[in-house]
Amino acid sequence: MSTTQMMKGILDGCILAIIKNKEVYGYELAEKLEDYGFSNFSEGTIYPLLLRMQKEKLVTSTLKKSTAGPKRKYYRLTENGEQELQNFIERWEILQTNVNHVLAHETKKGKGV
Amino acid sequence: MLHENIQLSKKSKQFLENLRVYLFSSGKKEKEIDEIVEELEDHLMQAEKNGKSIEHIIGQSPEAYMEQLASEMPIDVKAWMKYIPMILFGAFSFIIVRDLFEGTLSYSLLEIFGFLIIAILFLTIISLVFRYIAGKNLAAGKQFAILYPAALLPLALFVGLIFLNQQVTTPVINFGVVGTIIIGAFTMIFIIGFSIWSKTWVLPIVLAFVTLPDYLLDFTSLTESARIITGTCITFGCILIYLWISSKLAKV
Repeated sequence: MSTTQMMKGILDGCILAIIKNKEVYGYELAEKLEDYGFSNFSEGTIYPLLLRMQKEKLVTSTLKKSTAGPKRKYYRLTENGEQELQNFIERWEILQTNVNHVLAHETKKGKGV
Repeated sequence: MLHENIQLSKKSKQFLENLRVYLFSSGKKEKEIDEIVEELEDHLMQAEKNGKSIEHIIGQSPEAYMEQLASEMPIDVKAWMKYIPMILFGAFSFIIVRDLFEGTLSYSLLEIFGFLIIAILFLTIISLVFRYIAGKNLAAGKQFAILYPAALLPLALFVGLIFLNQQVTTPVINFGVVGTIIIGAFTMIFIIGFSIWSKTWVLPIVLAFVTLPDYLLDFTSLTESARIITGTCITFGCILIYLWISSKLAKV
């Protein structure tokens, strides 16, 4: 299935949304995504995405000491990142409306209602 | 500081080691390699604590995952612009020092370009081999089976070049006495500078082991073949002893 293809762009948007709400570190981010139901992806996938977002200056990171363990890298949105999140939300809403329209009309016709 | 229960599994440790080798031989920035390896180490530790397997983190193919990371990391052009000439010149210094004992330097164009091509080929092959070994997580025996021919290939090409040079005539550059002195001095400065920079005297020590026995044995009355065999034995014996001593010292 091409779920993975579709997932990539969507995952980007969700990561931006989670980071905007609160500074998080890698494991925290992966857990949140799982909690929201993205259970079908390997957690490590977020790191190449985070690396790219850093390169594109959508997110920045700071090292902070954690209470128990080692220093952790916390991610934060930049202004570019906020803009990209807004763009994603707009794109997603249009896409969602379109897909809902298609499904609502076409499947209704099929059922002959 | 670490508790027993948050020790990483052997499989995860192995993966992190391999990732480091893979990224380094892909020419990535050392600082960025350290950062991503530390981040994944932390992630794997917490994941294992919660009973998740490493496959759940990195997917089914470690190699594909390593490549995903590598493709998002910039190549450290600045560092490699420094390393590659240093490695090349380090290799050349062996040839130059050996030939300095024989008198003034002269090389044919075929030799000069041949050496260069072999050295670049060697660097490329080694980089590919390390990426392959790290990506596939090969067992020690298989690693050796790949590394050994990869290391022997340039040696074979080198011997081939020497023979070819006897068959084919290309313009020869004679450096003369002044040229030889300048190149000799430059090589010595490089060797000393390199040793100070790298904080190890391995280059001049190995260099001495390789060149001195041949030179000193020339003064003996041994036959040529006896000199070559004795020289080779002394060279490899000394290198082995040196490696053994430095590994002992490193452990202390």
